[in-house]
Amino acid sequence: MSLTNPSLVDGTQLPPTDSTIALSAPGYRPRAPRTGKGKRRLSQTLLHALLVVGGLAMVFPFLWMLLTSFKTLPQLLKDPLSVLPQPWTFDNYADAWNAVPFGQAYLNSLYIAALVVAGTLLTASMAGYAFARIRFRGARVLFILFLATQMIPKQVTLIPFYLLMTQLGWVDSHLALIVPGLLANPFAVFLMRQFVLSLPKELEEAAIVDGAGRWRIFWSIILPNLKPGLAALSIIVALDVWNAFLFPLVLLNTPDLFTVPLLLSAFQGQFGSVNYGLVMAASAISTIPMLIVFVIGQRRILNSMAASGLGGR
Amino acid sequence: MSDLATGERMPQALPAASAPPATPRRESAWRRRDRRWGYLFIGPQLIGMTVFVVLPFAASLVLAFASWDGLSDLSWVGFENFTAQFQDELLWRSIVNTLIIAVVTVPIGLGLAVVIAVALERLKTRALYLVLFFAPVVTSTVAVAMIWQQMFRADGVLSTTIANVFGIDPPDWLGDPKLALLAVCIVTIWSSLGLNVVIFLAGLQNISPSVIEAARIDGAGAWRLFRSIRLPLLSPIVFFSSVVAFISSLQTFDTVYVLVSNAGPDNATRTIVYHIYDLGFGKFQIGPSSAASVILLLLTLVITAIQFGAQKKFVHYEDDAA
Amino acid sequence: MARANSKMRRLLAIGAASALAIGLAACSGGGGAKDANTVVWSTWGTAEELTRYQDFNKEFMKRHPDITVKLQPVASYEEYHSKLLAQLASNTAPDVFYVGDDKMGQFVDSGRLMPLKKLMESKDSQTKPDDFFPGLFGAAEQDGEYYGAPNDSNPDVLWYDKTALAAAGITEDPAALAEQGEWTTEKYLEMNAKLKDAGLTGSMFWNYWATHWSWLSSQGLPAPYDESGAFTANSDPASVAAIGELGSQFQDGTFVVADTLPDGAGADSIFVTHKAGFFVQGRYTIGTVQTAGEPDAYDIVRWPTPDGQAAPTGVAVSFLAINGKTQAKDAAFTFWTEFLSAEGQTFRLEGGGNAVPSIKGADDVVLEDGYPAHAQTFLDMRDIGFTNYAAEARVPGLSTGISDEFLKLYQGKADAQQTLDAAAALAEKSGK
Repeated sequence: MSLTNPSLVDGTQLPPTDSTIALSAPGYRPRAPRTGKGKRRLSQTLLHALLVVGGLAMVFPFLWMLLTSFKTLPQLLKDPLSVLPQPWTFDNYADAWNAVPFGQAYLNSLYIAALVVAGTLLTASMAGYAFARIRFRGARVLFILFLATQMIPKQVTLIPFYLLMTQLGWVDSHLALIVPGLLANPFAVFLMRQFVLSLPKELEEAAIVDGAGRWRIFWSIILPNLKPGLAALSIIVALDVWNAFLFPLVLLNTPDLFTVPLLLSAFQGQFGSVNYGLVMAASAISTIPMLIVFVIGQRRILNSMAASGLGGR
Repeated sequence: MSDLATGERMPQALPAASAPPATPRRESAWRRRDRRWGYLFIGPQLIGMTVFVVLPFAASLVLAFASWDGLSDLSWVGFENFTAQFQDELLWRSIVNTLIIAVVTVPIGLGLAVVIAVALERLKTRALYLVLFFAPVVTSTVAVAMIWQQMFRADGVLSTTIANVFGIDPPDWLGDPKLALLAVCIVTIWSSLGLNVVIFLAGLQNISPSVIEAARIDGAGAWRLFRSIRLPLLSPIVFFSSVVAFISSLQTFDTVYVLVSNAGPDNATRTIVYHIYDLGFGKFQIGPSSAASVILLLLTLVITAIQFGAQKKFVHYEDDAA
Repeated sequence: MARANSKMRRLLAIGAASALAIGLAACSGGGGAKDANTVVWSTWGTAEELTRYQDFNKEFMKRHPDITVKLQPVASYEEYHSKLLAQLASNTAPDVFYVGDDKMGQFVDSGRLMPLKKLMESKDSQTKPDDFFPGLFGAAEQDGEYYGAPNDSNPDVLWYDKTALAAAGITEDPAALAEQGEWTTEKYLEMNAKLKDAGLTGSMFWNYWATHWSWLSSQGLPAPYDESGAFTANSDPASVAAIGELGSQFQDGTFVVADTLPDGAGADSIFVTHKAGFFVQGRYTIGTVQTAGEPDAYDIVRWPTPDGQAAPTGVAVSFLAINGKTQAKDAAFTFWTEFLSAEGQTFRLEGGGNAVPSIKGADDVVLEDGYPAHAQTFLDMRDIGFTNYAAEARVPGLSTGISDEFLKLYQGKADAQQTLDAAAALAEKSGK
């Protein structure tokens, strides 16, 4: 069944084709071109200088973490403020890796994160698309409900959530982390809705004219155009899952099922001195997958520049 | 694809009423089916949210009317937990602290992130910078706590620099009730900046290059491009980030938990969620803890409603959905 | 046709989302088995400690082939109790579990712990009530019944740095003075003053119950709680004066609150770089000073007293309790008693252990290495020491609440009377 008039569906009219490009941004008025290359170079240099300074302030603790991971315990105790390791040691990495079953925890965290990210990308972009572009009864109320769930501090639901997991038989199972993770992420739905809203409407209108169904429109038109948003969401969700501490700690009992953050906390005792070299080495080990995710993700975001928005097809 | 989608942006969306009429029967059939698609699309998340968030929270809501330590039998106390919470000076202090954190960190954090994202977007070396700005997000909380505790000491780098520049006594950030909250704000902005930059960069990618190009041909300068093109087109994402940032700053917990012990000097950095956690898991007072969380939810709802009200003025959408 | 297509897509939409969930149902781990021969137990601890517990499990199962033991480890102390709370609330708690001394009273009051007196006195018991040092039961003992026993203990001793003392021109040795019965408060404060004059920190304390209440008890003053559990220290002028003295030492910087120092460059660093005279900590300090490479520069001494004679002071403990609803009562007790027995404690603590046995007959683990020189002090202090008062341990959060009040005193924001009044108010408020 083909639709003859899409404008009724979405309530928008086709844009007037205008040779002077119609800008959707309000308040824009053309102005005479400006010149001045020297000024520009100066401002570029200034910009770089500012970014370098800001960037160093941002990256400093990360570097500190890496440097500390190569320090020996005596150095850490006797000269805690020294910057460079003296001597350099790689023992912390070996010790950290051997002290706890990192390998198993890595696999656990990786597959949980992968499933939750994949699932969230799909379910959240579906819901986000529906909230942004499909008119259905109760949409507004439901959207407000979604937003409201975002406002519930997770800590307060810990005990009821645990009771629920007991009922489902999911305690001490990764299901307790995966299923709620990929099915209950209001933040992701909201983000995807906003990204869909920032896409031009005529994208799908043409498809509706062609008689495509909603799923096809979503799958072959909306999703490909959401790539930057999906990449950003992947990074955020992966980080959230990877760093989750309290819920996995409470829900998982068997050491073989533990995720990486649960092992990290084993390097800090209740009493006595903490071997920060070991802690930082363990932290660094646990950071690597997130760095990889980030590097891939940010490339997706930045490289979509050339092919961004409507230029993609 | 049809030439409708070749890159030109259409003007501001027109109201639905102006659409030409079609055969009524067809319209309703399509609409009915479309509505079903709507429910299907939100289905998985709706079910998940109901089961895994709303249901447990409903239980907490019920517990807000009970006296329960999680161990013994519970007893019903009516609104006692709420009245007790409203009379608890600690709750009010937590609310004030939390609101201060929200009001300070959200505008500054997002403002910085927008500026950085726009600045980075045009640079060839942006990937490198982006990694730098993202570093705090992947730095272990232990390292974050170590560094910042060190920075905030009276004899730390930050304090001595400030003391030298302004000729004042070096401030002891985490020991001084007035400064401890500011320290929490600084660390909050620092640690969330990277993610916001990433989201804004992704949002900027959604803006069609042809729009920018056209404006540039028309002679718009960098500031004008930013003010009149990028910012309005980015506004749905900025709006999203401000709503989410407010919500999450109202739930500030981790930063306080790792940075300062026992909610800081004289509870100077006690936040609402810290209060909730302390009541529930520190003092095993699950009823009052649940009551406090209901209060937090209401507070958040009010603030978010204000934001949604305000967005009509500031946020620019491709159509009139909001 | 279009209809069929849309149905297909709809199916796809539902399927794609739920396939993940359904497909994963296979990899469920399942909860701890609930039968009479499986003992699930839980504790917190560092990676090293947890490894040793796993070894203990293995040895135990060798001795008792019919019993299966499973450990549920939680690394962090605070979150351990959050988890235990969630488990108890849903009746899925382990059969045997650790309880921190600041939480024990609440657990006892809730009636969720198994009364142990009869079992402890039974013939199969390797842990008779009298085998433990009486001061260490604290909140685990109520109305003559026992609901748990101390796993091991850590008396808060005064570690001192001979190098720092020498640098401050102090020639006397605290441990030698103690042996002669001349280790007085006056001497101690004198040494601290000299340390401060030399630009060093006098003493470093952790801000928790053992610090302020040990100060009272070492000064020969009554416990802050009376028999009925009411807080009385604020109405005892001598106690107020003693707390005032303690506060003034912190206020002028002679004493330092270790908690307020930054992570990673904290009290440990200050101590091993000879910048402080005394550091009040447990046996676990051995690891710190040995790593730094000059263990012989350090020794330990008890708390000073007005007359130079030993007085009881605080001992940090944790308790092992049995779940009142356990399905494996006998097996659980077998595990419990072997874990706490002299043999069990020796197994857990020997070779670089970081605590002191809580039971008689295992003291060799403290003395075997001959370090520190006065290691016997650990044992002497444990013998007469006390753990946190039941009145304080009964109310979750009370102990930390009172410590917060003391921090104000130490930072000069309140005087001794205000501090103790505030503590009394907290105790009274939670007593309701």
